[in-house]
Amino acid sequence: MKILLIEDDTEAAKYLVQALDEAGHVTHHAADGETGMAMAESMDYDVMIIDRMLPRRDGLSIIESLRAQNDNTPVLILSALGEVDDRVAGLRSGGDDYLTKPYAFTELLARIEVLARRANPAEADTKYSVGGLTLDRLARTVDRDGENILLQPREFRLLEYLMRHAGQVVTRTMLLENVWDYHFDPQTNVIDVHMSRLRAKIDRGHDNPLLHTIRGAGYMIRE
Amino acid sequence: MNSWWGRIASLWRTTTVRLTAIFIAIFIIFSVLLLGYTAFQVSYAIQRQQTDAIHRETGQLVQLDRQRGIRSVAIAVQQLSQRPGPGIYYLGDATGQQIVGNVSDFPPNILAAPGEYSFSYDRNVDLENPNAGDEGGYAVVQTTLLDNGFRLVVGRDVVERRGFTAIIFGWLGLGVLGIVVLSALAGGITANRVIKRIDSITATSSKIMSGNLSERVPMTRRNDEFDDLARSLNAMLDRIEQLLQGLKDVTDNVAHDLKTPLTRLRNRAQAALGDKATEETRRETLEGVIEESDQLIRTFNALLLIARVEAGTPSGAFSPVNLKEVVEDIVELYEPVAEEQGARLTWSANEGIVLEANRELLGQALVNLIENAIKYGVRRDHPEGEDDADRPKSTIDVRTSADASFITLEVCDNGPGIPEGERGRVLERFVRLEKSRTAAGSGLGLSLVSAVAHLHKGELVLDDNHPGLCARLVLPRKR
Repeated sequence: MKILLIEDDTEAAKYLVQALDEAGHVTHHAADGETGMAMAESMDYDVMIIDRMLPRRDGLSIIESLRAQNDNTPVLILSALGEVDDRVAGLRSGGDDYLTKPYAFTELLARIEVLARRANPAEADTKYSVGGLTLDRLARTVDRDGENILLQPREFRLLEYLMRHAGQVVTRTMLLENVWDYHFDPQTNVIDVHMSRLRAKIDRGHDNPLLHTIRGAGYMIRE
Repeated sequence: MNSWWGRIASLWRTTTVRLTAIFIAIFIIFSVLLLGYTAFQVSYAIQRQQTDAIHRETGQLVQLDRQRGIRSVAIAVQQLSQRPGPGIYYLGDATGQQIVGNVSDFPPNILAAPGEYSFSYDRNVDLENPNAGDEGGYAVVQTTLLDNGFRLVVGRDVVERRGFTAIIFGWLGLGVLGIVVLSALAGGITANRVIKRIDSITATSSKIMSGNLSERVPMTRRNDEFDDLARSLNAMLDRIEQLLQGLKDVTDNVAHDLKTPLTRLRNRAQAALGDKATEETRRETLEGVIEESDQLIRTFNALLLIARVEAGTPSGAFSPVNLKEVVEDIVELYEPVAEEQGARLTWSANEGIVLEANRELLGQALVNLIENAIKYGVRRDHPEGEDDADRPKSTIDVRTSADASFITLEVCDNGPGIPEGERGRVLERFVRLEKSRTAAGSGLGLSLVSAVAHLHKGELVLDDNHPGLCARLVLPRKR
């Protein structure tokens, strides 16, 4: 993936560029708003990571200009420590996701990978399928190898989110945000318990598990 | 002397003194005008009375002359002259020869033609009564020409009248002086009181500026507007002191409580670098490092959130929130965890409780209360293998209730509870009771719930559930 990072904290940026490189992504870095805007306009990127507070040009105004030019590259907004965490304003300006510092790198990585995929039209599918597991979004049914699986409404939404991002790491925070619509960190292993219940329903009695726990990051559904 | 003037000068700078001075000046001007007008009216009335008396007596004498002749007039004038008082009477013939009367030596022009005159005369010589004193006299007279050239002069000595007027004006002056002195005194006392009260506030604020934050503006029993001001200032100072204390506590706690995990993190990283570490243990250690730093990030986020909530500027605006939906969502989220930990999480919520709230924070507060109930309210002191049926089941109840003015959201468990003396303390940041030290946690959960309650102008109340703890979030319906 080709990523544009607009971040004025050069130390943090250096680490991020290196970590993204290790994850197999090419990252271009701009240290101020004007340079970042120029780079965003001159090249195509898969994802942009834009800090809110930037010298010379504010992060939100960059996103607004890009959207006004019909540039729909997915944008992850970073908001700095101590700033008023105005997620709503960030998303309203055209950002696609919002992450507050300090954050774990795995969280950031999972989010940008999901964002990049979101740009693809796969979301419009009415059926998701991973291995022998099929989820019908319209009929609201799930079956594995032709065998029907009964899920609670919340479990269905959980599986739906995982399958929409099949093959990608989904963090616990992302699940909480997208399935329960709450933006906080649960202290205990709440999500894990839900996942193990879900796992019991879809993987029990099958030799090849589909639902995988990615240590230190989150979950992934894949063959 | 110099400091006295300095005091006066500094007094003059104050609004109170200036206002008082202006009021005194206005008061004096009005008093002088009013008293002057009264004195003038009184003196004028006396003068009118005297003139009227002169005219009346003259008229009566003229009539007497017409009816009974000059002889009767002479007798009447003679009698009048002998009456004590300020009366002046004279009857003379055409040659200027006095017939009767108590004054003889008129200036010649007075007898020459009829009319009204006023003149000075020497009382001592002219008045019949020599005991009248030796002051000069002043008279107002009316000269009338009678038949056969007789001249009648009727008048009044007005020295007494003038003396009376002088007395009136004298008292008037004294009155004004009294008013000036009294109003200056009253103004001074008022100004002094006001200045004293303001000085006490100034003194307090300068003490506070020099570092003594516990200083407060003194209050009186008068309960006046200065006490209102003092009360509101003191409330503000309480809040500032509380915030500063909070800030200090946070700084201390951050330094103390975050040092331990950071040290642990460092030691783990060092262990991973060690020569003896195999690939597998190295991996395990690094995963532990990530978990540990995630926990640190969570703690930081919680601290920041508490700070923001307490400053009253959290993320997201207030909007109408259906409490039942929040309870249902969060309970559903935590129900499996509770069950895994051996507790039954139940809920009951009234339909249609809608309040202006921050949904995220309200949800987070409920999460913290449920997590606390799971962590500290679930009985784990039963030996393994004991029959499940004999064991009293741990329960966690989430309930809502509402009356006309308050909405209550409570999370109750039947665990060990919190001793009454400790209930206030557990709301502070990083405070963890000795018994709970073993369980994972940052000691920030209840601090955040309390901050969220305050943000919604409500209160977090910890109560006894006999046995167990009831954490009650009491929020006013109107924010």
